[in-house]
Amino acid sequence: MKIIGLEDQEVEASLRSAGLGLSVSEARSVAEALGRDPTIPELFNYDTMWSEHCSYKSSRATLKEFLCTSGPNVVQGPEEDAGIVAIDDEWCVVIAHESHNHPSQILPNEGAATGIGGIVRDVNCMGAKVVATADPLRFGDPYGGDRNHVRWVAEGVVDGIWQYGNALGVPIIAGDVVFDGSFDTNCLVNVVAIGVVRRGEIIKSRAPAGAGEGGYDVIVVGKPTDSSGFGGVTFASEQLREEDEEANRGAIQIPDPFLKNVLFKANEALFKLTREEGITIGFKDLGGGGFTCASSEMGASAGYGMDLDLDLLHKVSDGLPPEVVACAETQERFMLICPPEVTERALKIYNEDWDLPNVYEGARASVVGKVTTNGRYITRYRGEVTCDVPIRHLTGGIRYQREERPRMTSFEEPAIATPEDLTDALLKVLGSPNVSSREHIYRYYDTEVQGNAVIRPGEADAGLIAPVRGKKFGIALSVDANPFYGRISPYWAGATAVAEAMRNVAAIGATPATLTDCLNFGNPEKPEAFWEFRECVRGLADAAKALWLKGYEDTPVPIVSGNVSFYNESPEGTVDPSPIIACVGLIDDVRDAVTMDLKRAGDPIYLIGPRFDELGGSEYYRTVWRATGRNVPVVRFDLERSMIYAAIDSIAEKNVVAAHDISNGGLAATAAEMALVGRGDLGIDLDLDAAGSDLPADRLIFSESSGFLLECKAGSEEDLERILKGYGLEIMRLGEVTGSRELRMTHHGKTVLRVDLETAKKAWTGGLGEAMR
Amino acid sequence: MKIAVVQFPGTNCEHETLVAARSAGLSGEIFRWNRPAEELSSFDGYIIPGGFSYQDRLRAGAIASKEPVMDALREEAEEGKPIIGICNGFQILVEAGLLPGLGGVDAALASNVMVSKGEIVRRGFYCAWTTLRHEAPPRRCSGSFLLEVGELVRMPLAHAEGNLVTVDPDLMARLNEDHQVVFRYCNEAGEVDPEYPVNINGSLENVAGICNPEGNVLGMMPHPERSSFAWQLQPTDPGKSVGDMEAPGPGRRIFESMKRYIEVRR
Amino acid sequence: MKIKLRVWLKIPDAEAATVKNTLRRRMGYESVLEDLGRERLWSIDVDDGVDDPMDLARRLARDLVNENKESYRASVGSVEFEGGYVPVRVGLHIEDGEAVSALKRLRDRLGFEMVRGVERSVVWKLALSSPDPQRTAEEIAEGLLINPHKDFYEIMT
Repeated sequence: MKIIGLEDQEVEASLRSAGLGLSVSEARSVAEALGRDPTIPELFNYDTMWSEHCSYKSSRATLKEFLCTSGPNVVQGPEEDAGIVAIDDEWCVVIAHESHNHPSQILPNEGAATGIGGIVRDVNCMGAKVVATADPLRFGDPYGGDRNHVRWVAEGVVDGIWQYGNALGVPIIAGDVVFDGSFDTNCLVNVVAIGVVRRGEIIKSRAPAGAGEGGYDVIVVGKPTDSSGFGGVTFASEQLREEDEEANRGAIQIPDPFLKNVLFKANEALFKLTREEGITIGFKDLGGGGFTCASSEMGASAGYGMDLDLDLLHKVSDGLPPEVVACAETQERFMLICPPEVTERALKIYNEDWDLPNVYEGARASVVGKVTTNGRYITRYRGEVTCDVPIRHLTGGIRYQREERPRMTSFEEPAIATPEDLTDALLKVLGSPNVSSREHIYRYYDTEVQGNAVIRPGEADAGLIAPVRGKKFGIALSVDANPFYGRISPYWAGATAVAEAMRNVAAIGATPATLTDCLNFGNPEKPEAFWEFRECVRGLADAAKALWLKGYEDTPVPIVSGNVSFYNESPEGTVDPSPIIACVGLIDDVRDAVTMDLKRAGDPIYLIGPRFDELGGSEYYRTVWRATGRNVPVVRFDLERSMIYAAIDSIAEKNVVAAHDISNGGLAATAAEMALVGRGDLGIDLDLDAAGSDLPADRLIFSESSGFLLECKAGSEEDLERILKGYGLEIMRLGEVTGSRELRMTHHGKTVLRVDLETAKKAWTGGLGEAMR
Repeated sequence: MKIAVVQFPGTNCEHETLVAARSAGLSGEIFRWNRPAEELSSFDGYIIPGGFSYQDRLRAGAIASKEPVMDALREEAEEGKPIIGICNGFQILVEAGLLPGLGGVDAALASNVMVSKGEIVRRGFYCAWTTLRHEAPPRRCSGSFLLEVGELVRMPLAHAEGNLVTVDPDLMARLNEDHQVVFRYCNEAGEVDPEYPVNINGSLENVAGICNPEGNVLGMMPHPERSSFAWQLQPTDPGKSVGDMEAPGPGRRIFESMKRYIEVRR
Repeated sequence: MKIKLRVWLKIPDAEAATVKNTLRRRMGYESVLEDLGRERLWSIDVDDGVDDPMDLARRLARDLVNENKESYRASVGSVEFEGGYVPVRVGLHIEDGEAVSALKRLRDRLGFEMVRGVERSVVWKLALSSPDPQRTAEEIAEGLLINPHKDFYEIMT
């Protein structure tokens, strides 16, 4: 394409008519680096590699400035497809976290399924067995003006997740769902996957040492390449406009869990072969950016070049143009780099033992080229060189310093009178689509497959699995973010999301080991959106630094994986800042973990975490008073750390038999849920005066200040109080578990809330199903 | 005693099923569907585990039932060797005519419908724990050889097509009379309520598992391999925290039964 | 009045490919089954008084057809097939929960009050070179395409 010597408008016109997203200045810098006009396939390669999605061109500087990605337990930071932390001397947990927002808004079923498909590949290609996934979801207002469309999206996304995840055979053990009008035209579908791998058996997503000198083969495995997802990464980096929906549909990838299931087993056979023979391979999934992204990154990260022949790649037809073959995002594909003496055996594993061509029409493993030492990224097609560029230049990307400007908001605290009786308010909060039981959704998920489940969705704040048979250790997983806090204060939204995700795993007795962040924001070219992004990152980084990796004073909890999703906006508006955090926790013996259901009448209930006037963005304000408020919950870092550690220690000492963290809906919702998730024959009686607060009763029970409710084993009160005091925490013995099947709270000698569990359960179990009907 | 856990493309429970069988004292291996079928005859018993063979294309179990490995299994069944189909394995055995084993394809496992007070309240995939009541006499069926009549066992289920239907008006009478109904869905007290949530998928007479007339072939929708260890139980189950990581859960009885059946048959 | 929507995938149909593969490799139809295609068929019973049924069909298709991956053709009354293959229609003779849900959604959520009933089936298009294609199609339907305890089939002409 002619660039050199043309005016800006002329270059602009030819870029757009070719369907490229590159800016004029980006295209000029390519021409300058090559010293000639680039070919069309070259420009598409740059378009892909320099997209926001592949190059993090707007976000990289901010992430580098704030986030801590290393730590004493980190085995692999965020440079590869997934991060890795150590469990013990032998085993590691692998984690990846991504968004699949834009495709899910357009084609909810396939979009969400592709999200899972991509994230499990990221974990598997590190040599790991994928053992669990989690799905944080954000949908629009199910009762607003767009309700039909919102419900269509919500239903399609949930269907896509279960249809893919269940068939693949990976249990979904955690997740959360929030409904709000800011997601009406931009749903968020985030996906987290975790895996386990032995430390010595980790496979890198790069060409192994010696690959260039030894002429290693480059092999593509999986589905035949088609045009699906062509333009996908560029699409993920642009705003959604209604009139473009039709055009954007071409960007949708089609996932296939069945082929993936077979590919995983074949990969396992390949990994076993190379392990046994002590051969180092490179292995990477083909995700965003397709063949170009995988092959150039595998070469460049090892300092090698690539010489690839697109004619040798298996495709649905020979009629595809070279840029489509290179940049399409056909699902269910991997790239393998191995020494030539392994090639025949690798091909046999895929093409004969696992019979790919008969499992999926046109699927197979094909050798497509060689690793070289010349530092060039070369592709050939139909006898011509279609691309010949310096590989480092292609993968190096570009950086933008975006402008930031605080978003002006004018949130005020509402003037409200405390109701005499709070029972109605609690029932409204329990029935809100954002607080009510998640059962309607998680019954669709196979939470039991692989047989490793110890704690399942709905039983506690985090899911827990025992992923290695014969070992006692468990991996806990939770996800969290509150968009309503984000609207008021992006900084505290980031910090509270980290704190809550960590509290969630602590509430079952697991110790937080690592965090991941998936950062969902609007258009970074708008200074307000970019400011929100920076504030969130600063907040979550501050929390990760101040809450410490337990056992290592002053050491941040490392963030080993993550993803940035910008442009979650449409002309109708932008999403609330949504820094979605996942936390992996570890526990030495899964049998020591506790759930949130009440265990025994007569056990005392303790509150940890004082109540503050922090109802900004709370469920109470929004559901009962239709207000947002201003006083968003903040994280008091030293207090928060003490609470988390005290919960972990008291569960480990077996003084606590049930625990639930305080978040949406405040301590009232927390207490109700502890009574409602069990067998329904135990109630709670609380005297709020013991909370030592002068807040009015409604603020006291609905404040979303962080904390826990703990059920102490009767007789262990002294031991528990000793642990709490040891961390400098106030002792607030609020009441006890009763055999009365009701929930009761008194304040200044008066009963302010009293409801039988049947009534509460009805409100709590109906809310979500009603919103998704 | 060596068993084969038969693996089709799309099967996804083979590993935990083999682990559960081993915990009951059986030895065995995973048998890939495209291995020479004649190699199957060297095994003493067979398990077809859960999953989505061929992604449930056409209907669950239909495509796998036509694979050569199923012809080989039919021959082994005629020899009297035990075969247990779990979830998708049950669906495959029904499609292959091995269950209920009256001569042809005698029933279907249709899409779940959850019916309460005459209304469909939910449909589609469902994952939950359930109680099964053992209906057959002891020693009637390979996979429940050690279980008493009326014995209750807890285990999870997870499927979209487990609703047993038939056009044969006499089929249920025949199965009941011949004690081919091995398990029914019931509540924790052992009562069989025909409505959701006790009848979890709309199945005729709450049927959760059936055997062939000879009793050596068993198919069941719930997953015993997911409750073969005490730690796998639900937190509200008092048995969860009993014993060490090897302590048995109720599902192990299925694999222990299979082992005993093989011993007795010898 | 019945509105019919014939719906087919624009993307590769993995289910049809698997069924074809099984018939040819496992069930002995290698020499007679030339090709096999699949369509979904919606039959929607609407009030006779509807003014512009083809416009209604277009509006119904917005919910029943996923145009991102599917194409459709609407007709009123009967359905015409192109020839060159034997169309075998397979549906449920037991209650179809998915059709019940679709009816509820169309009437209650989307406000199509003129819709009275929804029926869902699949049409398998068998291109056969056997001497008696009709007979072969019946064999294939009974041998693989249906389970008689829940499905029915009819050869459409």
